[in-house]
Order: sequence, then structure tokens, then C-alpha cells
Amino acid sequence: MAQAAKIQESIEDLEKKQEWWWIAEKKRSKRLDYLRKAVWKKGAIGGNYAPGVKVDLEIPVLFTQMYNWWKFDPPMLRRAKANAHILDNMTIFITDHAQLVGYVGTTPNTLLWRIDGASMVNEELYNEPGVMPEPEQASLKKVADLNAAWAGQTAVDKVARILDPEDAVKFLSGAIGWGAPTSAYGYSGKDYEFLFAQRNGFLDIIEKIDEAIEKAEDRTMGAPGPDILPLYERLQNWDAMKMILEASIRYANRYARLARIIAENYETDPTRKEELIRLAETCEHVPAHAPRSLQESLQYDHFVQVLARIEALEGAWPARPDYYHWPMYHKDVNVEKNITREEALDLVGEFMIRAYEVGGFGPRWAREGLQGITGTWVWTLGGVNKDGTDACNDLTVAFLQAARMVRVANPTFAFRWHPKVADDVMREVFECIRHGLGYPSIRNDPVLIQNAMHWHGHPLEEARTWVHQACMSPCPTTKHGVQPMRMASATANCAKMVEYALHNGYDFVVQMQMGPKTGDAAKFKDFEEFFAAWVKQMEWLTNTLVRTVNLGRYKDPEFFGRPFLSATYERAVESGLDAVSPVGERGNCWITGFTWVENADSLAAVKKLVFDDKKYTMAELLDALRTNWEGREDMRLDFVKAPKWGNDDDYVDDIMLRCLREVARHSREIQCPCGNTWPLLPENVSGNIHYSSIVGALPNGRRLGDALYDGGISPGPGLDKKGPTAVLKSCGKIDHVGDGRAFLLNQRLSPTQLAGEKGYQLWKAYIKTWADLGLDHVQFNMVSDETLRAAQRDPEKYQEVIVRVAGYSAHFVDISRKTQDNIIQRTIQGI
Amino acid sequence: MKCTECSFEAPVAKFRYLYNARIDASIALRQCPQCQAWLAVDELSGSVKQKVGPGEAPWGKSAGIEGLAEDAR
Amino acid sequence: MKYKESKNFFPYPENPQRGDYVERVVDPRQAYYKVKPVNAEDEIPESASEFQK
Repeated sequence: MAQAAKIQESIEDLEKKQEWWWIAEKKRSKRLDYLRKAVWKKGAIGGNYAPGVKVDLEIPVLFTQMYNWWKFDPPMLRRAKANAHILDNMTIFITDHAQLVGYVGTTPNTLLWRIDGASMVNEELYNEPGVMPEPEQASLKKVADLNAAWAGQTAVDKVARILDPEDAVKFLSGAIGWGAPTSAYGYSGKDYEFLFAQRNGFLDIIEKIDEAIEKAEDRTMGAPGPDILPLYERLQNWDAMKMILEASIRYANRYARLARIIAENYETDPTRKEELIRLAETCEHVPAHAPRSLQESLQYDHFVQVLARIEALEGAWPARPDYYHWPMYHKDVNVEKNITREEALDLVGEFMIRAYEVGGFGPRWAREGLQGITGTWVWTLGGVNKDGTDACNDLTVAFLQAARMVRVANPTFAFRWHPKVADDVMREVFECIRHGLGYPSIRNDPVLIQNAMHWHGHPLEEARTWVHQACMSPCPTTKHGVQPMRMASATANCAKMVEYALHNGYDFVVQMQMGPKTGDAAKFKDFEEFFAAWVKQMEWLTNTLVRTVNLGRYKDPEFFGRPFLSATYERAVESGLDAVSPVGERGNCWITGFTWVENADSLAAVKKLVFDDKKYTMAELLDALRTNWEGREDMRLDFVKAPKWGNDDDYVDDIMLRCLREVARHSREIQCPCGNTWPLLPENVSGNIHYSSIVGALPNGRRLGDALYDGGISPGPGLDKKGPTAVLKSCGKIDHVGDGRAFLLNQRLSPTQLAGEKGYQLWKAYIKTWADLGLDHVQFNMVSDETLRAAQRDPEKYQEVIVRVAGYSAHFVDISRKTQDNIIQRTIQGI
Repeated sequence: MKCTECSFEAPVAKFRYLYNARIDASIALRQCPQCQAWLAVDELSGSVKQKVGPGEAPWGKSAGIEGLAEDAR
Repeated sequence: MKYKESKNFFPYPENPQRGDYVERVVDPRQAYYKVKPVNAEDEIPESASEFQK
């Protein structure tokens, strides 16, 4: 009924009401409308998968069969054979009206299950309601048999066996960190320079591998010596890379064959027949060869992403589509005029939809931390070329326009702003934000290029190629810069730092001694003693997580193995090493800092009320915290009113800077497997909700159960009382190059205030202030409380309302009530 | 404190604490252990203000410019 | 019925004992053609959707 009424309303009327999601439906092509509505959402809704979404059992069965058959093979080869078996035998499909193909499952409603990742995830899957394909009993039996076969054999099982037992227990407690230290759930950058800029198709890469094999075999058949001994293993790795590339070409050809079969035997519409033939020709050309058209370019990219994901789940999607697909877009649309701009928009929109539909089974903590999505697909747009000139082009604009039409929460965009971005591009960026997409986030390109050089020593030209490795952290797309494995387990629940400093390292929520004993806080004589305890807890927490992650990375070639990823990395193809090996990588690690700002706010409140004003004793405070402020609401409000971050108040801002600089110092004392640094990156995804029942009461005034602050260096919701400029000024005191890797800032703006040309000018002025203060990131929600409350009441009518959660966007109706309320609580800034 | 839905009466601490409406206000959500209703509770006075359903809230603050911003068209 | 007897079975030119079996699916959200490799001599399972061209 609601939809029927909306069809009658004009676009003009809907614009006045700012109901952008209905406008999108009217404006997009019939094809895009069909494909958008065709998607089975894989993001969990408040933590649960949508009805009808099922886990794919075909792939784990195929994988296990072949993996067990080749049990004497080394890891890369064994995995290549098993994955090749999947690609040759899995069910594939072509959706009606699609021009791009490739999916991580055997039917559109399936979730990928990476069975070799972690036994604890496999056990969770068995117990997950609603995801077993029919008939359920048969599926449960299959899952039980598979789990039994893999028990103790998964990558995480193997890491856990050699990790220090104390580290393992504390990591697995779920109190201090997040994630699993394996490629199976990590995310890899793609060597786009090798694949796209150098125009290498898979046959070109196979040729290079053959040359490398020939050279190595000459040596292994030559004079014996220690230098030839490593080559034996590398020869097997090259074999594995070649095998999986050949299987990938066959996989693409299966789509081509299916498209031809449909065209010749089933399809009666002549236009669709032609499209299917073109689709077949596309899949016969890529990925075997470098692309010749926009459709081939996008299809090649999508095949690489799907194939990498069938190999390992991949929790993010580093990409720079407007940069790497520009040559083929320009050729097709501008030079040879093979397709119209509208036809290009259709392809671009579908390319986004293909990414949106990708999903794998995730454990419950991941679903709670990434509500509404299956991973952070943050695509990087804009920025500069390697020579520093503006890289924005018409494809940048096309992506921004397509985003407003298809309204997917994932991929989400991040725009690399720099001073020379043209006004018309900035307007397109603003339109996306005004349409309530919550993206693009805005990144300060000059600052982040400097940052990449400062922390990891990336040369300038390489730093300029950067993409978002996950939500926030830049990473080059080059031979020595590209990062093959970023495990989310270097993700710290930072609020525990101040919590443990207060309670002598004891965690009252999980009821165990977690951190070191840094002293009875009731006996601290001054703030400096308390701060010193905080520093020790910070060092302990970061050390524990980084040790785990380093070990997982170091052992990954042995415990997991990535033949496909290696085959697409120039340095791996040259060296014969697994791409995940630290050899040849410069290093690009960072510690994601969830729940960061609570530290500064809590430390400031203690300094003010306990040590400076002496209104309360530490013993009184500790008692209040341990009883969750029960019956002490007036005391709790006193602590809330203490100086808070985001108000341009040096009292607390100085403490924030001290905390950041202590971590920055320590970041240079700890090293990644490549020997490089581990800087901090404060941001949250929806970890602030996931950890709300894990972090205890704190001196900033929170209780156990309250949502933590929403992200990065964003002030607590409602605690920024002095307006948006004060927020920017607080954030501007941070050195966004030297104090950490990057710093997420959420801002909520009024859709009413930012309407029309005046709204654009206001926003542009805000961005100028943001840039002048040297901040590296900002992202916006522009949707009214009224709309969000209405969406809570009638979610069916608001399916395409999107909000910016933290480092990602989600459909508002897919996130839990608590997360929804937390977003509504965020202050709407009048600028 | 007395539940407005089922009249269950007990000390405030017996009503399960869910989460706060805003950290800087004394309104929080608690759940009645008897009828499971979500209640908005004034933590200072220890009394129920109202039952809370989806889309309802006694809170939700902006910088005060909603409806007051000049129409830019 | 064996796969090879079905109009929706397409043998591989290089190996006619194997081929693609095409099914048409209309689920609550979308319609699509799906395919997987099968042996020509195997029986089509009951759950398969044998559809008319």
C-alpha cells in the first residue's frame, strides 16, 4: 500500500520531504531496480540472519573431499587443489538481467562458510538457528560430520596450540580484543598495480610463473649448495599458483558457457540474448586476459574479489574503482563511444550490487560488531595520481551518482579530499551525504599520505596509491606496499585500559585477573600515579593482542596458505613465497582502538573530582563503579559533568593528547613481522554496542550495559555541548600524522539546515575548517530523528534508509534497537 | 518502584538495567522482571516515567535547530 | 530419468559422459538459471527442477 502511494508522488514532492529512498526507486533503470530488489541481504539484522538466508554446504564438502585426498601435499598446493576442485564443480548461476556474474556461494541466498578457519566458528554455525538448508536434519548431519573432520585442524586451532596459554585464555575471553588471527577471517589488499595498471591477465601471470619455474629448475638441477634449498618449496608454491589461476580461468568459462546455453536454448527476448552473448564474451576474455572494455574491467575486478573470497572469507574490500577502471570507462564512454553514460551507470550500479550481495557466515561477536553488514566494503574514491595531480574523473562522479540510485549500505565510499578537488565533484559528494547515505566519509589526502610515509616509510609515489585497507587505514596497492593480511584481531577494547587501572588489573565483568597488578587505586596519591597505571595497562593490552596477531601472520603460510592471492601479487609471483609471508612486504599494521575516548573522559573526571576538587575519594568512586552506580545517580551525574572531550577544553583535551602520545611511543617499541610499527587507529564499527555488556561502569558516568561512545575520536553522544566548531578544535589538537594512524570522527547534521545551495555552501565551509585544522577523517549522518523514529515503528516502509554507524554504513532497520537508539542520541550539529 | 504495566513493586535495583537514554540525563531503560515491559525510569527519583515501545522515546536531542533552521529554498 | 535424457542436459564436447545440467529457479527475490557438472548416466534427483524450455 505504502509503495503504491509513493509511486503516485512526484520526484519533486518526495524531494521536498527528503524521502530519498523513494526517489532512488523512481530514478534508477528497470534493470537496476530489479537487481537491487533481487539481493538477499546477508548482513545480520540485530545479530540474526534474515529468513531464507542459508549457509552454503556444497563448497565446504567439495573443499574437504579434495583437501583430505591430498593430505601429503604442502599447504599451498593442497589448498590450490582443493579450491580448484570447488571452482570446477560448484553450482554457478546467472541472475535475470545481470551483466556481471560471480558469487561466493552456489545460490543467491547462500552464505559462504570457510570451514578451515576456526572450530569455534564451525560449532557456532551448527547451533545457529535458521541457516541450515532444507532438509534441515540432513544438513545438520552434514555439518556435524564436517565439524568432526575439521576439529583441531583449523587455522585458529593450530595457532591456539602454540600461543602462550595465558595469552590464549585472555584473548579468547573476548574482553580485550576481537577477531581471529588467521587469513581465513582477515582481509587482503589487492595488488591493483600488478593486475590493472600493468595490465596482467591470468595468462600473462602464468607466463611469468613459468619463467620463474624454469629459472628455478635450472638452478635446482645445477650445482648443489644452500642457496638452492629454499627453491624446492617455492617450486611447489608456483605450481599451486599456476594451478589455481588455470582453475579460475575455467571457472569464468563456465559462466560463459552457461550464458551461451541460456541465449541459445531458453531466452526469447532478443535484447537479453545479445546481453548474454556479450556476457559470454566477457567471461571468455577475463580473467584470462587484461580487459578491453568497462564491462570486462569491472568483471575482472569482481572475479578477483570472488575468487579471493572463496579462498578466504575476507572481512573487507580494499578497492579504488574510479582510478583503476577509469581507462576502460574513458575508452568506452568518451573515446570510442561504445556505450552511453547511462549504460555505464547501469554497469557501475550493478558492480556495487554484486559487492553488496557478498556474504559469509560470521560468528555472533562479529555480527554484533558489524551489524547490518558482512564486512566493511569501504571503496576509496578521488585522491591524487602518483604525480600528485587530481585523480578525480567522470567515473568518480558516476560512482557517486550510482550510489544514490542503488542505495546499498555496502560498498560504502570514502572520498580522498585534497585542495584541488573540483567543485562539481564536491557537489556530488555532498549530494550523497544529503541523500542520507552516510557516505562518502571524507579523508584528508595530504595528511594521510604524510601519515603513511611517517609510520610505515612508504615512498611518496606509493603512498599516493593508497586505498582503505578496511574502514579507515590507508594502504598502498603496490608490490611492496600491498598488505596481504590484516587480521581484525589487532583490535583493542581500549576502555579496559582505564578499567584495569582502576581495579588493579582485575576484570569484574569476566571475573578474572586480566591485566598486570598496577596497584590499589584507592591508595594512589595523585593523578600521575593513576596515569602511570593506565600506561602499564595500555602497554600490556596492546602487547597481548599484537603478539597473537604477529604469530598468526607468521604461521599463516603453514597453517592456512593463499595460492590465489599469491598468484595475484607481483612479489609472490617473483619470489615463489606465499603472499602472506612477511618477506618482501614493507609492513602496514595498525591497532584498531575501539572504545578509545572513554579513557580520556574517565581520566579527566577522576583528576577533577578526586584529585583536584577532592569532592569524592577514590574509594567512594571504586565502590560506586563496582555497584554500577546503583542508588548514586547524583554522584554519577557529577562525574558526567566533569570536563569532556569535544568541547575545546584543554583540561580533558590535554589528557587525550597524553594518552595518544603514550600509545604512539609504544607503537614504535612493538613491531610487526615485517619489522614495522603498530600505530593506534581509534574507531568503533559497532563495537561500542558489542562491548556495552563487557565494559564495566566507568568514571565518565557510564554503567555496565550502556552503549559506549560511537566512534574513534567522536565525543560521547550528547556530551559535545559547545557546537561543531568546538568538536573540530578538540580534534584539531591531535597531530593526525604523528599521534596515530587515523582518527574516526562522526558528525550528525541536520537535513533541514543543509537543504539547497545554502546548505552546500555551509557544508563546504565546514569542510574547509576541518581541513585547515588538519583532521584526517569525518563522516556524516544527515537524517532526522523523526525519520529514524518512524523507521523504528514501521521498518517495512524504511528498508533503504541508511545510517553511518561508524567506519561503515548500514540500513537502519538492520541494526539492533540499542544501536538505533545510540545513533539517534548523537547530537545533531547546527553548522 | 512500581511497574506501570503490571503493578509489580520492588526496589529499583530489582528492575533489570538495560541501558541509558543519554549518558547526561537520568532517564534509563529498565525491564520489569515480572511482565518484561521496557520502562523509562528516572534514576534520580527512582520512578517509572512511561513504558517504552519501538519508536517511542522520552529523549532524543539535537542541537535545537530542528524546525528552527531557515528554509534555504 | 537420467541426465542424458533431459532436454536441460548439455554434454561437454570434449567429454560427452559429463555435462552441465541447467535448472531454472524463481526464489522470493529473484529468478536465475543455475548449473552444475553432472555425469550423463546418473539419475536426476527428485529435488531437481526439470523445467520446460
